[in-house]
Amino acid sequence: MSRSSVIYIAAAALLFAFGNASAKGDAAAGANKAKPCTACHGTDGNANQDQQYPRLAGQYADYIARALHEYKNGERSNPIMKGMAAPLSDQDIDDIAAYFSSQPGKLHDLSHMKK
Amino acid sequence: MKKTALMLAVTALAFASTSVFAKGDPVEGKKLVYTCTGCHGIDGYKNAYPNYHVPRLGGQNEQYIINALTEYKKGERAHPTMRAQAESFSAQDIANIAAYLSSVGTGSEK
Repeated sequence: MSRSSVIYIAAAALLFAFGNASAKGDAAAGANKAKPCTACHGTDGNANQDQQYPRLAGQYADYIARALHEYKNGERSNPIMKGMAAPLSDQDIDDIAAYFSSQPGKLHDLSHMKK
Repeated sequence: MKKTALMLAVTALAFASTSVFAKGDPVEGKKLVYTCTGCHGIDGYKNAYPNYHVPRLGGQNEQYIINALTEYKKGERAHPTMRAQAESFSAQDIANIAAYLSSVGTGSEK
């Protein structure tokens, strides 16, 4: 086996590992941890009360998790979300993301525009 | 009277600051959103790096989309592609895009 094919296999394995990093959230545990979020994002994540807050129901879990990490580490600057995300562990973030992602809602992709 | 005038001024200011963006036009917004479908129009599409799904935007709340695009435009959100897109948009473009995205259906409803 050549050296370059070893590198390729290692790179592919690494990519595979990261690609699956989002599947570890527990939606049931997340439902409880998400209680503080519901004041603005709605009990089911549909944020019907106030248009300034995003709907989370049905959003991709790994996108929600990514956003929470960005608020926590300051890559996104939002004073409310920084405070909410600061105490969350990586597991908390994955669980909350899994919960909101599993809720039925209005969000959808834009694939119909290409038809 | 002085106090009343002050209160009126404060009210006017509050009203003005919430009306910074002109009302969005969804028909104009749709023209701009075709570009967005490159990434946001593929079910399950992921960023190459870092590796996560690009968000679903159809049906998202209008003011949130305005906030998010404005944050990308001002550099308060870091994503390079989104910053590049948002920098080219005027406040009116952003309002138009938000008006369209918040109202668009999936195309399957009657």
